[in-house]
Amino acid sequence: MMDLVIKLDGVRKKYRFFSLDNICLELPPGQIMGLIGPNGAGKSTTIRILMGLVHQDGGDVRVLGHRMPQEQVSAKWDIGFASDDMRLYEAMTLEWHMNLIRSIYPKWDAAYAQLLLKRFGLRAEQRIKEFSHGQRVKATLLLVFARRPRLLILDEPTTGLDPVARHEILRELTGVMADEGRSILFSSHNTQDVEQISDQITFIDRGRIIDSMDKEVYLDRWRRLRLEVPAGIELPALPGIIHVRQQGRLAIATSNVFAPDLANAYENTGARVQSIETMTLEEIFVANVEHSREEVDA
Amino acid sequence: MKGSVVQTLILSDWNRHRFFIMLSIFGGVLALGLVAWGGELPTILGSTWFFVSLIVLGCMMPVSNVINERKKQTLPFLMSLPISVAQYTLAKIVSTFGMFLVPWLSLVVAGGLLIVGRQNIPDGIITVLLILAGFTLVGFCVVAGVAIATESESWTIVATIALNSSYGFGWYVLIRNRELRTGFGNADPVWSPTVLTILLSEAAIVAVVLALTFFVQSRKRDFI
Repeated sequence: MMDLVIKLDGVRKKYRFFSLDNICLELPPGQIMGLIGPNGAGKSTTIRILMGLVHQDGGDVRVLGHRMPQEQVSAKWDIGFASDDMRLYEAMTLEWHMNLIRSIYPKWDAAYAQLLLKRFGLRAEQRIKEFSHGQRVKATLLLVFARRPRLLILDEPTTGLDPVARHEILRELTGVMADEGRSILFSSHNTQDVEQISDQITFIDRGRIIDSMDKEVYLDRWRRLRLEVPAGIELPALPGIIHVRQQGRLAIATSNVFAPDLANAYENTGARVQSIETMTLEEIFVANVEHSREEVDA
Repeated sequence: MKGSVVQTLILSDWNRHRFFIMLSIFGGVLALGLVAWGGELPTILGSTWFFVSLIVLGCMMPVSNVINERKKQTLPFLMSLPISVAQYTLAKIVSTFGMFLVPWLSLVVAGGLLIVGRQNIPDGIITVLLILAGFTLVGFCVVAGVAIATESESWTIVATIALNSSYGFGWYVLIRNRELRTGFGNADPVWSPTVLTILLSEAAIVAVVLALTFFVQSRKRDFI
């Protein structure tokens, strides 16, 4: 059996106004997993548990084969972690930070660091407080990438970046994966970024994982059916249809396990299928979250 | 694995604070220079300035090295490195205490040498120097302990205010004690039971605060 890079099993964490409930997650080596959730869904808490910075109340957490949080020191030698609330020392230069990281990590790749300096348009001798927000994010990621970690854990790394900076960072992330042994867990509420680079997608909402599978499977399974419903015809509740919105004679049905039979089933009731549309990851995400909330509230 | 990450973090803290440390030593030496100059006003100004520089150093160092780590959000950066919470605490305690103790010790030794070297200053005043310097050390330890254990700027400010208020009270107790007062003017230092009790109490408080800080940190379940 392939060793998993990340394995969360039944992880629980309770706060006063929020709790993570039975989080189960698996990331095989060489994969990029996008963790998508609205604000306050539990992405950062999950990631902090993965890093050993927050102790779970229950459940098992293993990262690169190490039990967390007990073996966080061993695990962190091979993890590159960056989050949107992470800052470098403002008064110090990027070069100072590079020297600090180089003195800690034997695998520090000085040539790659120089290459990233050029690609990101950064000056090592510049102080962090003189950088723009985008440059600070790039500087942080440079320090993470040049360690050559086996696992990258990135918590909202592209938040607040302009499209060009986002593109540069996503391109570099894809480049990191040129080495097949590397893996990335990448949280965001920006579905475009996740869709662009992820192999697997996990949706999280209100402290629960609501769905987790290959990106292509998501895109393949989810469909939106535009229907024309003649007067007197009532649309049946079909398996695989998670949501139907009807206004007058027009209806939109959303399916999370689409098969051509579904269209036939609607046609058999007297409705006419006007179109079957693929959905973007953002549309799938929103539909998934709404469906999950309806189920929980029901 | 290169060296020790704890050692690297301690050295990086020293590196970041080197100008502040040098500035503190310079301020203290300047104050001692005023005392050495002689005369009532320069002596009073110099000795006040001397202790103020120790107090300021004791208050600023924990804020700069511990509280700002959380406030300026550099803590996640440090905790992404291969260290545990206990190792981070150790690094912060050693660096913060070291960065205070080196200038503190340098200035206290310089003050002692000045007292011994100057004929017009009675050597008995050395006990005052040690007791008052001990106050500033205790004050620093409490502020640093509160800063590390609570990671709260508000609680650190409360501890700082409480400690700064207590310096006046401590000074008042010293002046009111006849035995101590007599000893201060003596040609040689008088190591009376009272003086030794005060100095040992200060050392005991420092040890207790350090132990409590480690204990509180070791019980934390959520660090960021």
